[in-house]
Amino acid sequence: MTRSLAITLNALGLYAIALILLVAFGAQLILHELPCPLCLLQRIQFAMLAVGPILNVRFGPRPSHYAVSLLTAAAGAAFAARQILLHVMPGDLGYGSALLGYHYYTWAFIGFAVAVVALAAMLLFDAQFKEDDKAQPVGGFARAAVWLVLALTALNVISTLLECGFGACPDNPVTYELLKRAP
Amino acid sequence: MMEFTILFLAVAVVMVAAWWGTRTLALALFAATLLASIAIYLHHASNVLTLSF
Repeated sequence: MTRSLAITLNALGLYAIALILLVAFGAQLILHELPCPLCLLQRIQFAMLAVGPILNVRFGPRPSHYAVSLLTAAAGAAFAARQILLHVMPGDLGYGSALLGYHYYTWAFIGFAVAVVALAAMLLFDAQFKEDDKAQPVGGFARAAVWLVLALTALNVISTLLECGFGACPDNPVTYELLKRAP
Repeated sequence: MMEFTILFLAVAVVMVAAWWGTRTLALALFAATLLASIAIYLHHASNVLTLSF
């Protein structure tokens, strides 16, 4: 795998992360299902997955950049697994609505597991690391991916502030704390 | 508290550092943010589980 192909695949990874963040926003805004604290933590890990690909696009592929995303995916999978276990007992309907038969935290676990496999697969190709260390000009495709993920993360900052306000986020949020009208 | 808002903000700062700053700074900020998110997870995980049995 050449260096430029690896960078293109990293940019595609950024678009995949952007899609996940968009779907999460879609559920929040269209279905009016506010993310719980553990859901927010998983969403944060999805955003953090983007740091490795951004470093790869900017500085060129390095094993340490993939390690950044692997550590994040491992943490995200652990957070999602805990939420699955919280609702594992028969009769428990789970938190929020299901999408194609699985709740969002189950999809999150699958997403993090897929990320681990994809990152390990990328690490198999040593040739991407052998080329010179000079910074390459970043193309529009990769640049747009970085901006998209950054913009979605900034929107999540605003959304989380509106939802949780300046205090602790409720376990089962149903309204935006900062949009509540004074009685 | 605002821990989740601050965490999202921290992730955005890490991304900005990765895109415009130095590699060392980005990796250091990433490590701090990852540790913070794990600490917040452990704090919440120490709560009593309200399982359905």
